[in-house]
This record gives sequence, structure tokens and C-alpha cells, in this order.
Amino acid sequence: MTEPLIAADSIDFSVKEKVILRSVYVDAVPGTITALVGRSGAGKSTLFWIMVGLKRAQSGQVCWAGMRLERPRLHALARLGLAFGPDRPFLSPGLSTADHLRMIDGNAGGLGVDEWIDRPTGTLSGGEQRLSEIAVLLGCRPRVLVLDEPFRGLAPAVRDRIADVLRQAAAAGVAVLYADHDVTQVHNTADRLFSMENGMTRRVEGFKERPLHEWYHAWPQ
Amino acid sequence: MPLARWYQSRLFRSYLFQFPIVWLLVKAANAYMAGYVREPPLGFRPATETVACVIELFILWAFIRRNNEDILLGNLGLSWKETLLPLVPLHFALSALAALV
Repeated sequence: MTEPLIAADSIDFSVKEKVILRSVYVDAVPGTITALVGRSGAGKSTLFWIMVGLKRAQSGQVCWAGMRLERPRLHALARLGLAFGPDRPFLSPGLSTADHLRMIDGNAGGLGVDEWIDRPTGTLSGGEQRLSEIAVLLGCRPRVLVLDEPFRGLAPAVRDRIADVLRQAAAAGVAVLYADHDVTQVHNTADRLFSMENGMTRRVEGFKERPLHEWYHAWPQ
Repeated sequence: MPLARWYQSRLFRSYLFQFPIVWLLVKAANAYMAGYVREPPLGFRPATETVACVIELFILWAFIRRNNEDILLGNLGLSWKETLLPLVPLHFALSALAALV
């Protein structure tokens, strides 16, 4: 098994008295799709924001290729090869997908965004916007792709397309890490799995071979 | 992302376009305050201009964050300094021009 390229280890995060994350671990391995599954509000987004340097944890560490990062920042991680897609639109609404791709000298790479490539992203539907975002992130030629809820609120056809794109990225050696609350989607898409409940994570082994209810509801409440 | 490409991008040009609007608003407030203390409203006072520039950059950054464009910029490998600091000379150039009027 290849070593993780990025890992968040022993992350603790709380807001006032409320503990959001306690000693959490998650990582991403090149050439695989790792999913972080948990209910809405479980702390998945918070963990990703800490991992990419958009939030600061009270304790714990983020490691890149085994090296501890003192103070992770998204722009510095991006230079190392990380791309992050949050759970909200982040492309400039007045600019087209083509404008965004020009900034990074990237191409749409067969993602099927050509139909709306010259339209401002602010005028696109949710699915079109998500595909454009992933096209831009992949245009950055990442080594690690972190996506927060990439399938949320999308039609099945768009979900399948995004799942295919993630599989292609992983096959090309990218370490894909994404969060989801849909266990069926995770079962069909991911190679590795972390489950998150009550602010804690655990690695779920052999989930592909076991029925959904067996591994998902086995987590202590 | 090479900085040369960033400065030629449509996104940076959109910030270049938005910044004078923010400058104008802050300048109007500054001129009002200057008039209140019987100073030339459009006068160039370096300390005041520095403070005004910082306020303008904060306002622009707030708009950038509202659209989550800070995440886009981060993905492009750009820090807030690389994004905003090129606008500092524009502030001082605009204020110097206003002082000459």
C-alpha cells in the first residue's frame, strides 16, 4: 500500500463548550478514492477546512508526504499539489469556465463542460457548476483532490459522471478524498472509507464486500 | 500559478475595476471627515491614505470572501498578499491624482 500523501492526525476542534472533532484521523492515498462518510453536521466539512488550512484546530497535525506542516494554508498546499472543492460554489460568478481554465492553462479534459464553457458560472445550474468546479480543480493538475460533498443535490446522471471523473483521476495517480453522507454512493465510488460519528473517525475495512447496514450502523452511538 | 498570468487574468482585472469604486466610497467618507476638521477634503495625507488603503483592501477582501473566491485564489496558489498588494499603488496613484484636482 502506498503511503498517504496527506493526513490529518489527532485533530481536536471545539467551538466554545461544544466538541466538534476529537482526536480525528483521516488520510488520502495516491491512486485511490477515499471517502469520509457521516451524517450532516458530523464535522466532515470542519475536518476538511482544517486539513486545507482554512480553519485552525486546537490541536493535532496535518502531514504532507509524512512531513508535518506547521501552519497549513490553502495557497501553500495548492503549490504542493492540493486542490480543494468546498461544499459551496467557489468559482467567480461573473467569469466563465473558460476564463477560469485560462488562468491555470488547463483544459476541460473531456468532462463535458464544453456546452456551457463560455457562460458565466453564476448562471449555471447546480450540476453544471459542480462539473465546472471539478474541471477547474483538475485543471490545476493536483496530486491530492479534496472534495466536500461533491454529489450533494445532483441528478443521478451527473452523480455518475462525477464518480467516473473521480475514478479517472484516481487511475491517473491522484489521491482523491471526498466527504459524503450518502452511503450507497460511497459504496459504489470509494476504494477506502472512513466513517465519522460523534466527532470521531474510524477506518472501515472491507466495506465493499459487506452489506451497507452491516458496516454503517455498526458505529457506536 | 505564475504571477504574470494572474495579473493578466480577467479575475484580477475585475478586482482592478472594483477597487476604484471602493476607493471612491472611502475617499468620500475621508473627504467628509477632513472637511469637518477644516482640512483640504482631497488633500494627500500619507498616514490617512495608508489607513484608508487598508480599509479598502479589507472591504474588497470581504467581497472576495463573500463569493468564496478566496478558496478559488487559494487553489490557484495565490495568497491574499499576492492578490491584493498590487492594488496598493493604485490607491496612492488615485489619491495623488485627486489631490492635484
